[in-house]
Amino acid sequence: MKFEDFLLMRHELLLTITAMLILMAEIFIDNKNKNAIIRGLSIALFSIVTIIGFLPAPTGALFGGMYVTSGMHVLMKNVLNIGFLIVCIQSVKWLKSDNNNDRNFEYLMLLTSTLIGMNFMISSGDFLMFYLGLELATIPIAALAAFERFSQKSAEAGVKLILSSALSSGILLYGISMIYGTTGSIYFIDIAKTFGTAPLQILAFIFFAAGMAFKISVVPFHLWTADVYEGAPVNITSYLSVISKGAAVFIFMIVLFTVFRQIVNMWQDVIYILSVLTMTIGNLFAIRQQNLKRFLAFSSIAQAGFLLLGVISGTQLGMTAVIYFALIYIFSNLAAFGVIAAISNTTGKENIKDYDGLYATNPKLSLIMTLALFSLAGIPPVAGFFGKFFLFTAAAQQGFYMLVLIAVINAVISLYYYLLVVKAMFINKSDSPIAYFKSDFSTRLSLIVCVLGLFVIGFASIIFEYIRSMSFGLLF
Amino acid sequence: MEKILALTSNQIMFIIFSAVIVMFSILTVTTRRILRAATYLLFVLVSTSGIYFMLQYQFLAAVQLTLYAGGIVVLIIFSILLTSHINQKFEAVSWKTIAFGTIASILGIVVCITSILQFQFKASTLAIQEINMKIIGRSLLNYGENGFVLPFEVISILLLAAMIAAIIIAKKVKDTKI
Repeated sequence: MKFEDFLLMRHELLLTITAMLILMAEIFIDNKNKNAIIRGLSIALFSIVTIIGFLPAPTGALFGGMYVTSGMHVLMKNVLNIGFLIVCIQSVKWLKSDNNNDRNFEYLMLLTSTLIGMNFMISSGDFLMFYLGLELATIPIAALAAFERFSQKSAEAGVKLILSSALSSGILLYGISMIYGTTGSIYFIDIAKTFGTAPLQILAFIFFAAGMAFKISVVPFHLWTADVYEGAPVNITSYLSVISKGAAVFIFMIVLFTVFRQIVNMWQDVIYILSVLTMTIGNLFAIRQQNLKRFLAFSSIAQAGFLLLGVISGTQLGMTAVIYFALIYIFSNLAAFGVIAAISNTTGKENIKDYDGLYATNPKLSLIMTLALFSLAGIPPVAGFFGKFFLFTAAAQQGFYMLVLIAVINAVISLYYYLLVVKAMFINKSDSPIAYFKSDFSTRLSLIVCVLGLFVIGFASIIFEYIRSMSFGLLF
Repeated sequence: MEKILALTSNQIMFIIFSAVIVMFSILTVTTRRILRAATYLLFVLVSTSGIYFMLQYQFLAAVQLTLYAGGIVVLIIFSILLTSHINQKFEAVSWKTIAFGTIASILGIVVCITSILQFQFKASTLAIQEINMKIIGRSLLNYGENGFVLPFEVISILLLAAMIAAIIIAKKVKDTKI
């Protein structure tokens, strides 16, 4: 192994260096403006990491196949990097508040370490690295969910997250140990060669899928989602619903396409059922929610069901559609959460009723929220439509017409409850609407980036073509 | 004759160890006193190390004994003593929960055991080799295939992150200084 080989691990190494620099800054800077310096430094460093991520990179395998990277892996990491940067910019206002001002370093450092974990998870070539990455991506998040010092709900969210993730990790590990027991290897390449359809191996796959379904919060493994999303700070909720979920879907798709390619008919059945349940139940529960964070929690469960449509196809188009949709989903969900965070940080209001008449007082925020919700629902001018369109195409191409029909019906249901929020902002009258307020620079910057993303990704077909050139289908 | 005797004694030891593991595992999750749960867990961990000894994994068995049975159980007991009363009893679980829990566990056991028994495991053809410290140390720092230096390093990041996470959860009192 030569020194240049470490260039393959560019994303992980740069993020680790970033985390260490933030740690050094916390220790060695002795200044009145220490926290402002740390915030500025980390966002500058994250921006540099995100930009360097797009430079052309060597590909290959390292550490005897434990770490693999290809154009597609780099692309997935870049997608996550973009979302991560937006979440960090959105967090600035919240980090400045009195309660959190002395804990900026801890927040940024933990958030970075979760991203390192996700990158290692995506690039893993064996189940050991996969599991370590998964844990590194989950454990610090539990502490971040419990970040609000004086909120009991926040502590509850942390405990619920750590317990449910421990349970799902246990199921996942049991599945992995069965895979190891039946094939004698933990390397993806070796398992893919010998993995068959013995009952024990199918059971192993089901355990593995159940563990992953917990992380992606797919119905019927979704029960932790709403409580955790509601209790955690808004920025962590958006991080959980976008970045964590995206990373878990990506690696689940890679493992299904490579390790379990021999039992493709089995896993397509499993994903079929999970997808139908997730879309339908996520949507039906979202209609009843009053708290906006809970509302978006259930909407994000439903979106995960749509994502599974791309996974089930098992084709190159399917993988392209999943990555493309995830990218759009990052921008639309972060725009919605950005508006909610801005309002929640200023007024503390999080219910749909509080948004009555918002357009009269805060027209810009209402417009951005509307665009984000239109994109989530999949209404043509914004990018969300194209994302859903390609997902449906990918599934229909493989003959899953019933599934696509159910998905379309669900898309219509989702349109109803997204429009409920729009109606509250534009049509409903209120005696005491949320008063006009001016957002700070960081919030505005992140929202502008999101809105630009919503239009650019939809209309610039070069992005879709670029993703397609990197993707692959089932490897036979 | 001697061989058969050796085999059966091995089997007897295995049966004893697994019976202890199953029994005390059930006791650990059903007892209503938290300190007793920790003590029952100790027996589970010690018996597991017995199974490792039977498989000739001396190093793993020693680690299991010192780290889990020795270190972690002591840590658990310490944290119990620091956070709750020893005599505190948990609320009794309702019979519905017990019934559904039992049904779910039995179903899970049946599914797992039948599929495990159906699978044709291939016996290993490799000679039993004592795994000494040198081999373990080498493979821990090996960067080729079957080497573990990358997981080893990633775990260090995980531990650092876990420590910082523990600090922010514990650091609840508001600091007046900036």
